[in-house]
Amino acid sequence: MGNPNAPIVMEVFSDYMCPQCRNFYMNSLVYMIQDYVSAGKVYLVHRDFPLPIAQHKYNWDAARWGTAAARIGKFEEVDRALYDNEPAWEADGDIQKVVAAVLTPAEMKRVQKQVAPCLTQTPANLRPPAPAGQSCSLDAFINQDMALGKAVPVQATPTYVITSKGNRLPAGSGFVSWPIMKQFIDSLLSQ
Amino acid sequence: MLVGRIALAVIFLAAAYAKLKPQTGMPWSVASVKTSLAMFAMQVDSYRMLSVSGVRWVSHLLPPFELFLGLWLLSGIALPFSSLVTTLLIGGFFSVMVRTYALGLEVSCGCFGPGEQLGAKTLIRDGSLLALSLAVTIGAFLIQRSRDRAEISVGAPASQRAD
Repeated sequence: MGNPNAPIVMEVFSDYMCPQCRNFYMNSLVYMIQDYVSAGKVYLVHRDFPLPIAQHKYNWDAARWGTAAARIGKFEEVDRALYDNEPAWEADGDIQKVVAAVLTPAEMKRVQKQVAPCLTQTPANLRPPAPAGQSCSLDAFINQDMALGKAVPVQATPTYVITSKGNRLPAGSGFVSWPIMKQFIDSLLSQ
Repeated sequence: MLVGRIALAVIFLAAAYAKLKPQTGMPWSVASVKTSLAMFAMQVDSYRMLSVSGVRWVSHLLPPFELFLGLWLLSGIALPFSSLVTTLLIGGFFSVMVRTYALGLEVSCGCFGPGEQLGAKTLIRDGSLLALSLAVTIGAFLIQRSRDRAEISVGAPASQRAD
């Protein structure tokens, strides 16, 4: 999200079903997107890191919807919708409904086409029909993010890695409130 | 005693240095130290125990205080009190870490600068430091007490000394 040439690059490794990731997104990252990403000061990179936790039943499917949306240039909208509505789709597994609410029917068709062969956890009655003979290509992107995360190494989500003017800083993890994070970003920008 | 005191001093000096040192690619300057303190503030905030202003106060005061405490321990001046302050501080850190771990919050420890995850390893390390600090404190008070007694008996009149 934002300008790839921004002085600060922030990569956030997260799991759509992790409560701290949702909290971090809704109470910090939203403000960062609004004030710093839009202004070209920060380039925000979402990295999927679905955790192998039994309760996180739909985390891979959510990551697939997000990745498919990114491939048609609609990541920001879908990312926000996934976090905003997480309690709803966590309860019934209906991620499709949440995504459809923020895309046009044509965009939704393109996303569904990519996602349909991949869905494993979504209840069968809520899955879009998979086009015949098409295999899941989205998992390669998610696995790529996970490999990057393991190299950090990501031990918990959310984990953020900040690169300022080409210098990669040590990774941090857990929720950080927006005023404290803003203070750090302002400090980096003033260097 | 001496080894324990020096070890604690070095640990506190190292912890202060790790929090104050400029991030990769930045030279030593007031601005780069401010950036390091702002990064430490994010680690303090992730424990989710303090208000925004509380986080700012703690993150700006703790590293200089650790530096002061390390130098105080190293000097050996008023050792019972420096070691007591050290024990109270490590005890405070340890209880915060245990609480955070018990709540299942997965955060960066922030103990020796950024990049270290809070976990069983960090708890064992800080628990051992607490035990060491406690031992140094008890030892320092015992030595102080025996010195005080010796001084009293040397300074007392001959009639009292016979008692």
